[in-house]
Amino acid sequence: MKYHLITLGCQMNISDSERVSAVLEKMGYQKTDNEEEANILGILACSVRQKPIDKVYNKIARWNRWKNKRNLITFVSGCVLPADKEKFLKTFDFIFPMSELAAFPDMIREYGIVTPAGLKAPQPVMPKNEHIVDLWHIQPKYQSTYEAFVPIQNGCDKFCTFCAVPYTRGREVSRPSGEILEEVRHLVNQGYKSITLLGQNVNSYGLDKNGEEITFAELLRLIGEYGKQSGQEFWVYFTSPHPQDMTREVIEVVASYNCLAKQIHLPMQSGDERVLIKMNRRHSMDKYRKIVADIRELIPQATLFTDIIVGFTSESEPEFQNTVAAMHEFKFNMAYIAMYSPRPGAASYRWENEVQQDEKKRRFHELSEVMKIHTREYNQSLLSKTLRILVNGTDRKTGFSTGLTEGKISVRLDRRYDSLNGQIVDVKITGVADFSVSGEKVQTPALPKNERELVREK
Amino acid sequence: MMTDVKQQIKIDESFYKVENIRKLTDNTISLSLPGSRFKYKAGQHISLGIHGNYQSREYSIYSGANDKNLEVLVKEVKDGYFSPKLSHLKPGDLVEVHGPFGKFFIDEKLIPNNKFVFIASGTGIAPFRSMVRTHANLDYTLIHGVRYSNEAYDKHEYAPGRHILCTTGDKNGNYHGRLTGYLNECSFAENTHFYLCGNSNMIFDALEILKEKGFDRDHIHCEVYF
Repeated sequence: MKYHLITLGCQMNISDSERVSAVLEKMGYQKTDNEEEANILGILACSVRQKPIDKVYNKIARWNRWKNKRNLITFVSGCVLPADKEKFLKTFDFIFPMSELAAFPDMIREYGIVTPAGLKAPQPVMPKNEHIVDLWHIQPKYQSTYEAFVPIQNGCDKFCTFCAVPYTRGREVSRPSGEILEEVRHLVNQGYKSITLLGQNVNSYGLDKNGEEITFAELLRLIGEYGKQSGQEFWVYFTSPHPQDMTREVIEVVASYNCLAKQIHLPMQSGDERVLIKMNRRHSMDKYRKIVADIRELIPQATLFTDIIVGFTSESEPEFQNTVAAMHEFKFNMAYIAMYSPRPGAASYRWENEVQQDEKKRRFHELSEVMKIHTREYNQSLLSKTLRILVNGTDRKTGFSTGLTEGKISVRLDRRYDSLNGQIVDVKITGVADFSVSGEKVQTPALPKNERELVREK
Repeated sequence: MMTDVKQQIKIDESFYKVENIRKLTDNTISLSLPGSRFKYKAGQHISLGIHGNYQSREYSIYSGANDKNLEVLVKEVKDGYFSPKLSHLKPGDLVEVHGPFGKFFIDEKLIPNNKFVFIASGTGIAPFRSMVRTHANLDYTLIHGVRYSNEAYDKHEYAPGRHILCTTGDKNGNYHGRLTGYLNECSFAENTHFYLCGNSNMIFDALEILKEKGFDRDHIHCEVYF
């Protein structure tokens, strides 16, 4: 018996899919990449944009045609809006929130039996998250042997007007810190080198518990202390933080421990105050500027990544130019730039989408060009330096190995080193491109932990 | 037998029965729900849905944190999708409530030694009524911008002189014109904290005025209605 799982969207869905795989494999199902030979077909959906949702509709139409010829079970989970959920109820065999994953084996066993839930009882439309802790108790089947995602928080209370996540994942719920630390320790003991703490608002961790759970800064500190004691070299990242809840203390803690990676992903979304207000981002440019100043002061070697939306509903040219100015000001090492697309379920979906697609494309390209100036300038500064990189794959064009620095700068190596996949090695930077650098592996003796800072990239 | 079946149906605790509806103007109501299951801070908001409908909207809580009932202020938006449905609810109808959400509340430690200026457009007055009803010794001024003076929802509840009504459509308020015009003419004490609630354009314009007057952004708190 085999299962085929399609995972759409963000790292949170990737993390969730590792737990779905664990549940199915515990039941005796084997994973297959060929959907035509699977007995169970599932999708972890993403509602951030329309395209992934269209894919879900296309897939289920195809799978339901196969049902005429063979026995199949289909399911959908992940981020699903209430309106889509209503339609999926008619086309999929199962639809359930991730918080009910632990009950999935029972659902499959009882397949075909109508549950006595009393269909007349009103069912809440908004997802309820209190059982999400059951999901976190499931030991995931990690897809990589050196890179892992650890969910620490689920849901969102922020209600940004461009986003539907509060309606698909429910309100913010924090995972117990003991479980998180246990999973991190387990991963480090297994030799994992890159561990990413995940949450829709990862740095809002603990705030939902009203003082009964430690804060995000305290959680990072405990991980940092463990990293110190372990004697292992590994890098812990977190994504995505919200500027509203970003404290100086978090940055101080990141600065204090070697295992806390010196890379910060801080979504800005827009560099214009009026657009930020319209997006209901709940932070000002002053606040954002203060956080970046703290990062530059306390972790000068840190790389800074961001997310930006161009062409948001009524964004004017001067407002867009404020984002361009912010790109020059903050000199991001990477910006994930998206052209605004209205998403059903988000508040902005009800507003007129005034910026034409061609104009959005122009803004996208203009901003990308500005980003390129600064990424190249930074990459140039790495030339001739020897950096620690995590080897993580091969370049499709050259077939040579690739890797990431601690700051998540892409590195292309001078040859293929299959045996080094998943290892952290020293690489001397010999070439520079807009969004990556190239280099050659060098032999250097292992450094004592307290000297590792010397080989960081700045 | 029918009674037995009904007893088996467990109503999810997210659902509330509408208890009362107060009509405040031709197109604005205060929707009152049982409040006993709900703990919140004055200024926070909830997500409100209607049983049988797949949409929900966010509404600031209109009642005080210690009030018996949970109230929200609903203005029917012409050609809107959701607010007309809310406006047509009757006592006994089921609504779905999630929350409370948000950080738009007053730090109680600030109350004894500070002044508070609440700036609201239209139904953006909702969180401020909640704050005034919750915090007894608040030294506050509420600047409320509306089109007509009959939109001064529950004005009689505010102490004399503390509620400044700015009207653009008639001259029956305290100030004829936009609230930003009034704001431009005002001066405020240094120890003032500002709370702004309403549409994004009003909030942006008011923010700019306050920043020009020299107030730190940390003293200006915003809640955008969308």
